[in-house]
Amino acid sequence: MRALLTLMLLTLLPQSAPAAGAEKPPAPKEEIQTDLSTREIAIQSNFTGIEVLLYGSIDFSQGTPAKPGEYDVIMVIRSPEQPLVVRRKEQVAGIWVNGMGVVFPSVPGFYAALSTRPFRAIASDEALRELGIGITNLDFGKPSTETNDVDMARFRSAIVRLKKEQNLFQEHDDGVAFIGRSLFRASIAMPVNVPIGRYTADVYLFRDGELVSKNQSTLEVSKVGFERSIYNLAFSHPFVYGLLAVLLAVLAGLAGWFAFRRE
Amino acid sequence: MFQVYLPIAEISVNLLIMLGLGAAVGFLSGMFGVGGGFLLTPLLMFSGIPPAIAVATGANQIVATSVSGALAQWRRNNIDFHMGAVLIAGGVLGALLGVLLVRELRAAGQAGLIISLTYVALLSTIGVLMLVESVRSIRRARAGKPASGRKPGQHLWVHRLPLKLRFPRSRLYISAIPPFVIGAVVGLLTAFLGVGGGFIMVPAMIYLLRMPTNVVIGTSIFQIIFVTAVVTALHAGFNQTLDLVLALILAAGGVIGGQFGVTAGQRLRGEQLRALLAIMVLAVAIRLLFDLVLPPGELYSISPLSAGA
Repeated sequence: MRALLTLMLLTLLPQSAPAAGAEKPPAPKEEIQTDLSTREIAIQSNFTGIEVLLYGSIDFSQGTPAKPGEYDVIMVIRSPEQPLVVRRKEQVAGIWVNGMGVVFPSVPGFYAALSTRPFRAIASDEALRELGIGITNLDFGKPSTETNDVDMARFRSAIVRLKKEQNLFQEHDDGVAFIGRSLFRASIAMPVNVPIGRYTADVYLFRDGELVSKNQSTLEVSKVGFERSIYNLAFSHPFVYGLLAVLLAVLAGLAGWFAFRRE
Repeated sequence: MFQVYLPIAEISVNLLIMLGLGAAVGFLSGMFGVGGGFLLTPLLMFSGIPPAIAVATGANQIVATSVSGALAQWRRNNIDFHMGAVLIAGGVLGALLGVLLVRELRAAGQAGLIISLTYVALLSTIGVLMLVESVRSIRRARAGKPASGRKPGQHLWVHRLPLKLRFPRSRLYISAIPPFVIGAVVGLLTAFLGVGGGFIMVPAMIYLLRMPTNVVIGTSIFQIIFVTAVVTALHAGFNQTLDLVLALILAAGGVIGGQFGVTAGQRLRGEQLRALLAIMVLAVAIRLLFDLVLPPGELYSISPLSAGA
């Protein structure tokens, strides 16, 4: 929220300044337009993951074009947040059992940050933190259980490690490429277990470490067709769903008997 | 190639592997006359299906195979419907308890562990018993002695309990309490492990209830249809752990495999087959035990708050 306010101020200030009239108007800034190769990802039976293309261009008409290489782009794609339980195995009587568990209330189901160069070479740590750029700057919310800082850091890093293993957290500091002076693109591989929901794709344009423009697009990930009906039925009318499953199993059994009986 | 997305398990599996798994377990159950759930559920867990989903989907699979089996038994008049009704009544109670138990354990993050532990205990016991029995039979067959039948026994303590009912098909006049309790134990196992429970019920019917052997299998399969059906519906209702897509794939494989299994089982020798099944059961138990005892590569696990391990 604070980041958003700062941004609004940043964008409002230069426009209101010329109204004062007295000083020299500040240089108008470059703007970016961005879009995704798809606005909707449909998860159905043949879904094995998908590659999404995120692209955009810098509009120089409002500003003085810099030399190539002076611009940096950072892209952040994230899904809605959800509560997540992290459990640690402990050895009890020779058997590894789930011991302590910590609930983090708001962990993004999917998070990818891509850029033209390492984040810290592009902007200051404070700016990155405020914009939520980079996995280290993610806030998972207040943990449910109190424990010492060292332990909590371990639980936190376990989330990051496990999510990275499933490709649900990604960081690619060479993931955005410029094509010529104004066009840039990046591709994000979304794995098979991407959570459903409305994703946001934020694109930030930096020049000499300063944020000059940003743009947001959205991406809807949903289950469609047969998969959607099953998923919805299973969660909205679970007993009907259960009875349907039983009915289908009985029919399968009957079919098998009729098809193969020897008489 | 042939990857299928499972909407509830939220993973992508290979269609051919899952069809093959259903067919293989169906084949074995057709061959040995067992439900096969005690192999199917652990094998699903090995393939990366979360334990609670493996249990619920496994139970649904047994509905399909037991319907085929029960029809064949009914044709031969091998079902004691009175006894079946008492067993089902107990089974429904056990099923409800089992489903609620799974729900509590999932919330605590211990469902996978307790399911695995129970499987290890059950499979190693059954595996060892079957192995010992089949090795004895093989030796006896080599020595040329006939297989020993069961001796007509005296009345057991279970026959002195109150609430006596007449079971005409079994020619029994016994208390309803023992079959009700047997049904409840089996229902609990079905809900908890995704097994039909025939391997417990059949010996209990023969040795505790003294039912005639010709109606034991039929009545057991008849009870299994209803209890696994109730377990499926309850798991879907309370835990949302039933994956219909996976269930359909397994049922398709299972029904076909089962029919070939019956044919194959009639041609092959019983003792060797039982020894082979015993070894497979033990192998599954050992694999499950290894997973519990060996230091895990990753100590931590994550899961959404609503679903459990």
